Amino acid sequence: MPPLDATQLPALPAPFWFIQFFKVLGFLLHMVPMNLWYVGVPLAVTLYVFGGERARRWSERLMVQMPIIVAAGINLGIVPLLFLQLAYAKAFYPATILMAWFWLAVIGMLIPAYYGVYIYVSGMRDGAGSMTVWRRAAGWCSAVMFLVIGFIFANAMSLTTNAAAWPDLLDRHSVAGAATGTALNVADPSLWPRWLLMLGLALLTTAAWTVLDAVWLAGKEGGAYQRWAQSWALRLALAGAVWSTVTGAWYLFGTWRPTVFKEMFAFPAVILTVLTAVSCWGPGALLWATRRKALNWTLAGSVVGLQAGVLALNAISRQIVQNIELRDVFQPSVAAQPTAPDWGPMALFLIVFLAGVGVLIWLFAQLAKAGPEPSLDGPAEPPAA
Amino acid sequence: MHYPWWYVPVITAPMLIAAVSIVHVLVSHYAVGGGLFLAVETAHAYRTKDREYLAYLKGHTKFFVWLTVVFGAITGVGIWWTIGLASPLATEVLIRTFVFGWATEYVFFVLEITAAFIFLYYWGRLPEKTHVAVGWIYAVAAWISLVLITGITSFMLHPGAWLDPATRSFWSGFFNPQFLPQTVARTGGALLLSSLYVYLHASIALKEQRLRDLIAARSARPALLGALLILAGGAGWYSFMPESAKAALAAAAVLNVLAALIFVLTGVVFVLLYLGPYRNPGWLSPGFAGALVLFGVAAFSTGEFIREAVRKPYVIYNVVFGNQILPNEVAELRSRGYLEGARPEGRSWTNAYIARHFPQVMDPANPTRIDEKKFLDLPRSEQIKIGEVLFQYHCNDCHAVHWGYSAVAMMLYGRTEDMHLDMIENLDRAPFFMPPWAGTREEAKVLAAYLASISPPRPGGMVPQ
Repeated sequence: MPPLDATQLPALPAPFWFIQFFKVLGFLLHMVPMNLWYVGVPLAVTLYVFGGERARRWSERLMVQMPIIVAAGINLGIVPLLFLQLAYAKAFYPATILMAWFWLAVIGMLIPAYYGVYIYVSGMRDGAGSMTVWRRAAGWCSAVMFLVIGFIFANAMSLTTNAAAWPDLLDRHSVAGAATGTALNVADPSLWPRWLLMLGLALLTTAAWTVLDAVWLAGKEGGAYQRWAQSWALRLALAGAVWSTVTGAWYLFGTWRPTVFKEMFAFPAVILTVLTAVSCWGPGALLWATRRKALNWTLAGSVVGLQAGVLALNAISRQIVQNIELRDVFQPSVAAQPTAPDWGPMALFLIVFLAGVGVLIWLFAQLAKAGPEPSLDGPAEPPAA
Repeated sequence: MHYPWWYVPVITAPMLIAAVSIVHVLVSHYAVGGGLFLAVETAHAYRTKDREYLAYLKGHTKFFVWLTVVFGAITGVGIWWTIGLASPLATEVLIRTFVFGWATEYVFFVLEITAAFIFLYYWGRLPEKTHVAVGWIYAVAAWISLVLITGITSFMLHPGAWLDPATRSFWSGFFNPQFLPQTVARTGGALLLSSLYVYLHASIALKEQRLRDLIAARSARPALLGALLILAGGAGWYSFMPESAKAALAAAAVLNVLAALIFVLTGVVFVLLYLGPYRNPGWLSPGFAGALVLFGVAAFSTGEFIREAVRKPYVIYNVVFGNQILPNEVAELRSRGYLEGARPEGRSWTNAYIARHFPQVMDPANPTRIDEKKFLDLPRSEQIKIGEVLFQYHCNDCHAVHWGYSAVAMMLYGRTEDMHLDMIENLDRAPFFMPPWAGTREEAKVLAAYLASISPPRPGGMVPQ
């Protein structure tokens, strides 16, 4: 039995478009809950202290839902990570090995950050006086850790496409040519706008969640809360649009390599580039135009739809830019890697995927029967033992 | 070489995988067995209209979700993180071979998480039958996750027919010789470990003796069944191991001790289960339950460590060596040079590093090519430095340097440089669980020089000296 041929690792087991589709779809789905903890947790813990009555209520509502939001975000993040490792290993592994300790610290921070959310929420749910300084501190620590985790991710993803920096980073962070795992991509000018751009998108997603929650789950809060939520969402959306425009412009015009710039501003990619840039104003514009109307399902649904579009355009644009930037590593291109589709396992996956969606629909249908206001106030208190 | 090597002082990078994996499996098996416990016992409590038992089960579910959905899930992701950092080539091979196995497992994982949250958060809000059905969805999805992951991890110990290009496929790799034994053993482990956690939780959280006795009695049978499945699966695991893994188990004294320890610990757990919860449910005190968990966790951790250790010198048997090269590359590396790299396309990380730091050894006719013969013209201090690069990439996956995990300096007391050279050039001959030497003679010499520079002298006072 001859061993694996050194020059021929197993080919990609799916057509490249398939891998690309699930990578982008997974990233898009991951961004929704990730955005909510990225900006939502810092905002919520701040407003809980400094906000007015309705701002505190908004903070409580978001944080009570946060354990599920975090769970969703982590699990949805596995999808793009899986397909990233499948087709982009040659770039992704070196980048993360160079910054191994920081990359591993993501796991080390995610666990306490998640428990911190639970501990903080338990302070809100246990009644007056139960939000002790330690519980409050747990929430603040979680907020900081989520921001730091975002910074590390921005490092890893920007370093993945910054192959030119690898040799120098290895020289400065190595023992006899072996990486110490202590490098960061801070010298890369694209790192900072990439990290900050995600904050803008996160503000927009938080705005969309605010109107959705107000019409869907906040029925008991009353009309005054809905009006406040609508106004708060407008402010979040406008702030997100301004932030995204500034950091996006910095990213495009200040850090894009000439080849990326040339391709993304050539027809037809320029349409995508322009749409991605201007789309961030959609949710804010709609909320501004309807600011004197009462919040309803149609309006909330439209805002959510527009924000979904913003995130989708971002995910697709980022993917195209990443592929262009990685031509140095995958010659002639990442899409040109040999493929040998594994149709049987792929069919099994797709069948299980569809069946899984069916089971999920059944599960959520049971929730609808359980009552009009599902309890998201689940395991806020610490376990019995 | 194919990827930059991650130098982790003292413990070495792959031991991080072992650490994260062991912590994870101690929770993930509870996530499987605990789901079954909750589904079965909630149905029983509804059927017998035992409100107190239901109240306990709700409290246990909170503990369960807190532990498995947060710590269990994130440490599972943590394994991904660490294998990509410490064994990138092996991870690449695994993902390219089993991506749809992982993707399918992910679907079940999402079902698990969703069902777990609904089971807890809608407690008392759903019709009883629906609530139990949600519990069963969790339990079944969690067990299928276990089966799918076991197919992939067992492949690493023995890929079976996958090794033959004529029969190489996802299916031949997944249904490898180790698949069934390890699935049986892990199913047993899930049943046993979850019962032990339930005992500990109940002994602390419950004051009412009736409920403690009820839980002790009802969970004893699955726990005993679990212990038997572990033994059956363990026997199969041993029977279907590759010859080299059996030999490694027999040859390494530490593995002998650990293997014996598993049987002793499992036996102790079995006897304690029989004497305690099965025959005398009233014995279930926090101290007794704590001892059970302690023995169970020790047995489990030992088993996981052995499972990892017997694969040496491979990460994936006959596919990828621990030092991240492929068996087919060895001959090419011996000819071209380890630092040069075997793949014709692109430059290896070691080649690029040498070119930057030791330009004098590059071939003037081809500046991207290392001329190994020039190594021996370098001053000895430079030879040692190149030898250290070789050590990092060829050896550090299993050996720390001066002290720590399997530290190489501690193994080389009093050896001469000639002895080092002989050992390097016959690396896989004396101890078969070492990988073959995969470099040129010049590279072996500079590595020997490096080893000589870190070898302590023969301890003094020994007779004859």
